[in-house]
Amino acid sequence: MSVPVLLDTNAYLRLARRVRPLLGVEFGQKQYVLTVLGDVEEEVLRSKRLRHRFPWFETDKEVASERLAKRVRLSREKREELEHSAGFLHDWVIGQAQRFVENGRAPPSAVDCRVLAYGQLWQAIVVTDDLAMHDLAGEFSIDVWHGHELLARLRSGRMVDNDQVRDIYAALEANGDLPATWRAARDKSFPRVFLRE
Amino acid sequence: MHKVVHSENIRAALAKKGWTQKQLAEALNVSAQAVTLWLKGEGLPRPDKLLKLATTLRLSFEQLVCVDDPDRPVVAFRKRAGTKTTDQHLNRALAMGKLLRPLVAFLPELRALRTELAHPTTDYVYLQRAAAQTRAKLGVGPQAVLDYRVLIGEFAANDAFIVPVLWGEKRTHENALHILLPATKVTFVYLNLDTRIEDFKFWMAHELAHVYTPEIAGSDEGEDFADAFAGALLFPEALAEAAWQEATRTRRKSDVVAALRRFADLHEISLYTVYCEVRAFAKAHGVRDLDLNEAVDIHAVRSAHRGQLVADRLFEPMPPDPAAYIAAAQHTFGSEFFASLQRMLREHGTGPAYVQQILGIPLADAAALHASLMR
Repeated sequence: MSVPVLLDTNAYLRLARRVRPLLGVEFGQKQYVLTVLGDVEEEVLRSKRLRHRFPWFETDKEVASERLAKRVRLSREKREELEHSAGFLHDWVIGQAQRFVENGRAPPSAVDCRVLAYGQLWQAIVVTDDLAMHDLAGEFSIDVWHGHELLARLRSGRMVDNDQVRDIYAALEANGDLPATWRAARDKSFPRVFLRE
Repeated sequence: MHKVVHSENIRAALAKKGWTQKQLAEALNVSAQAVTLWLKGEGLPRPDKLLKLATTLRLSFEQLVCVDDPDRPVVAFRKRAGTKTTDQHLNRALAMGKLLRPLVAFLPELRALRTELAHPTTDYVYLQRAAAQTRAKLGVGPQAVLDYRVLIGEFAANDAFIVPVLWGEKRTHENALHILLPATKVTFVYLNLDTRIEDFKFWMAHELAHVYTPEIAGSDEGEDFADAFAGALLFPEALAEAAWQEATRTRRKSDVVAALRRFADLHEISLYTVYCEVRAFAKAHGVRDLDLNEAVDIHAVRSAHRGQLVADRLFEPMPPDPAAYIAAAQHTFGSEFFASLQRMLREHGTGPAYVQQILGIPLADAAALHASLMR
């Protein structure tokens, strides 16, 4: 049986242009399958800045049609379940705002909580580089990976090769979008990719 | 803060499902004893079990957890016409209020001495007296045009921090949002700059009324008072009388409306405000009312003659870059909000999602603003 892996918007934007196919394909021994929520579409399309920064999100038909075809579809009942669980998580966060604004964190938003709620309800692994989301996921026993951890698994599952890993790192670096966790993990998680250079 | 669960809500939910405590324990994969202890008010489930409990019984956070929160924010909306306030709007505003609490420590020193209106009512004589005294305090004569900028100092003097926002002209539910944090008595006043100047002035005056009357802020009584005070402040009795005299010199409806419009244009306020204040004057003095159809003669004319958007007046080009926007908040609105936010972000390294949530803007816009504040 496959294991669903849900990418948050940033995790998706960091990988989607350079990993094809990305969504809806089983990989690895555990048969991971990547997916996204419809929120990704909404978040990007309603933001002029994001549309400007990631023009391929709309113009690359292959990427767009894969995303639309492979995103999560929920029945009305499941959607209500998701909203309920996400609302609970967000209320938990808001009630402890002070804790979530310190140490380089920011309180997970309602959309972030929806991503985590999906993980909790349907035992999906959530991929995010947001450290506060990692904290929250830890408290609620939700499985969560950093983007670089997913990239390592994509590599070992032969979804990407060493050149693609290098390309992705280089592009994120060039765009000023390389998370500190990716930087710290570079040589440790990808020794064969970077240490041989 | 989170001490115990609302055991009566859990019992009611179990009864509704026809479940026993034992069945609940099995569903949550905990011992029956653990459930008994929670229901006795001894201890709280671990977060993951608490969430499972909430999803299993379909209880919200507030229904499930007893939270003693004396600093629960008080919120008041200035809604856009034709919109309806839902629980979602209210919860979003409450969440913004709770997220603003950590910012309070970074605000300038709070003031012990503040202005407060005693025993606020919507009685005409009281409103006129309050408006006259406020105008005198601001150094604005009874018949002078009141510029919105003279109101700004009053907000700062009462620990009300103006937060200018660009929420669009039509997309948002509210055009102004008032959030009072009871423990510190700090107020955040969100003002949407994508608003016509005549409406903007009214909302500022409306928000000032909330600042002057913290005890009734957030209640229907507070809203009614704030509307009445704003009208009286922007177009007080002396002006209403002059407008009434001009308007009642003629019987042709178009001439009456034209007379009212001249006052509205001169004072950069809405035709509707002038109309309401003239009628209030007529009623209070027992003189002839205006013979106009509000929907046809006032609202139709008002909709056809709208002023400029405040954002268009302030920024060129639109939308402003983050630095220009922050500068306008500080200089035009005399607001310490962004300076305080900057101190907090720099000290804690707080991420852009915080900016996104306290300003109610898209994450990408928040990220640009965050980068500007961190520079």
